[in-house]
Amino acid sequence: MTRANGRPKIEVQDVSHWFMQQQTGDEVHALDAVDLTLRQGEFVTVVGPSGCGKTTLLNSIAGFIKPTQGTLLCDGKAIKGPGRDRGVVFQDLAILPWRTVRRNIAHGLEIAKTPKAERDERVAYLITLVGLEGFENHHPHQLSGGMKQRVAVARTWAADPDVILMDEPFAAVDAMTRLTLQEELNRLCLQTGKTVMFITHSVDEAVFLGDRVIAMTARPGRIKEDVKVPVPRAERDWSRYNTDPDLKTVTEHVLSLVRSEHGEQERAQHAEAVQ
Amino acid sequence: MAQVQEGRQAALPAALETERPKGTTSFGSASLGRLKEAARILAPFGVLAVIWWVIKASFDISDNVLVSPWAVITATVELVRVGILTDFIGLSIQRLGGATLIAVFTAVPIGIVLGLNKNVATAFEPFFRFLQNVSGIAWLPLAVVWYGLSNTTILLVIIYTLTLPLGFNTMLGIKTVPPRYAQMCNSLGASRLRVLRDVYIPGALPNIIVGFRLGIGYGWRALIAGEMLAAQGGLGDMIFQARTANLIDQIMAGMIVIGCLYLVMDRLILQPIEDVTVGRWGVLRS
Ligand SMILES: Nc1ncnc2c1ncn2[C@@H]1O[C@H](COP(=O)(O)OP(=O)(O)O)[C@@H](O)[C@H]1O
Ligand SMILES: [Mg+2]
Repeated sequence: MTRANGRPKIEVQDVSHWFMQQQTGDEVHALDAVDLTLRQGEFVTVVGPSGCGKTTLLNSIAGFIKPTQGTLLCDGKAIKGPGRDRGVVFQDLAILPWRTVRRNIAHGLEIAKTPKAERDERVAYLITLVGLEGFENHHPHQLSGGMKQRVAVARTWAADPDVILMDEPFAAVDAMTRLTLQEELNRLCLQTGKTVMFITHSVDEAVFLGDRVIAMTARPGRIKEDVKVPVPRAERDWSRYNTDPDLKTVTEHVLSLVRSEHGEQERAQHAEAVQ
Repeated sequence: MAQVQEGRQAALPAALETERPKGTTSFGSASLGRLKEAARILAPFGVLAVIWWVIKASFDISDNVLVSPWAVITATVELVRVGILTDFIGLSIQRLGGATLIAVFTAVPIGIVLGLNKNVATAFEPFFRFLQNVSGIAWLPLAVVWYGLSNTTILLVIIYTLTLPLGFNTMLGIKTVPPRYAQMCNSLGASRLRVLRDVYIPGALPNIIVGFRLGIGYGWRALIAGEMLAAQGGLGDMIFQARTANLIDQIMAGMIVIGCLYLVMDRLILQPIEDVTVGRWGVLRS
């Protein structure tokens, strides 16, 4: 029921972006002619060397930056700016330190003017879902990294956006917690049928979570290969991942793509240093 | 005057130093702690009074130069009895209160607008620093030319004095709010006004409170100076009038009241507000 139904949700067409560097006046070519379609209900992961433009791509879809060139569509309509149809889980979380866990999670619903009773019910449900019972009235500084992570995910979920954009959300979480969060995220996405773009630098994570893995080239970021992951997401957990030969083959393939790009990047940096 | 000038000089670094770490206040053994703190605050004043009394008694100083602590107490009681002191305290506090209200409603919005526009803020910064060094007192001559020796003149000087640290700290506070928070709010569907309400104002609140406290301190000094010149009643007027009749006891009584009133305002109103917001927010922010 939650498999991609084929309808394009987000379309990125021939998007290129150059940043102007303030101090030097140099232009940084961050994205180069990126074409990408996220279909309804699809979970797409993006991997690539750091600095290749992953965050720039996400910011473009979120509507935080307007790319220099190209077209971005959501439900066939041009993306003009940020909106509640596209929720974001930021790499640095952006949880408001002066709000409690409950009020951080309720934030989107407050903005949407959801009636209080409905809001409380939904927040309570999400708090249970992400396992934060008993911490409702804590402030973020009283939480561990993994718990803050859950708050950020729950906040985005509470607002019920169609599309969720996640930027290396589990990078700062310890390894054990990460495994749990990944399984929970997979379950949550299947339950709710969200369309997700998930950026990571972990190949294992990308293959474990994604319907497709987008491997990007070193800067300027281009799509190097769009890899389909064979096993249905509903059947995935870490023990399956560790034993399934098909998943192993895909992981090795993606790893080789990322490795070659990493080598490219190092060679380019070396060449720059020599000049 | 010199003292006020010195205060203005110290204003800038103090205003810039916004992230003062604050320990959390424990409200545990409250009453005993309060008592101890009161004793700690009052002790130096007691010592000073004793030294003053010893000097007066042992060096045979004329009453035209220095009166005894006892004479000052008598003068204070007398000033209260005839109603001058209470009236003038009321008048001074009213002026400070009115000016504070006006300053809050102008300085905070201006600070917010400047803080939100990086380029405007950068452009205005030298101007701000220039104004920081033209003290409120330095505006008195111009204010007198415009409004004469009037209440308006006094108010103008206090408002000006309050506005600068309040506006400047508001601007700094707004600039310390991570732009990420605003992006996050936008992607939850927030309007610009909503982002201001949910992100920028709470994020800048600790700085706003610091600016408020600084502003009241400077405003109080400017008020006394303004009252001295404008001669429209108030504590500053009282001590300046006492000078013409060489009433040293009244001058000293007035000075002590001025200092004590500020101390009371600061300790009983401003500091608790700052502790609650800056203290808690500060910890929360990290
Ligand atoms: N605001 C900016 N101004 C200038 N250069 C930027 C800016 N943001 C990102 N870049 C540059 O663009 C490139 C891509 O950045 P980013 O999308 O953050 O990469 P990734 O998320 O893949 O690590 C990097 O080289 C980065 O230095
Ligand atoms: Mg990034």
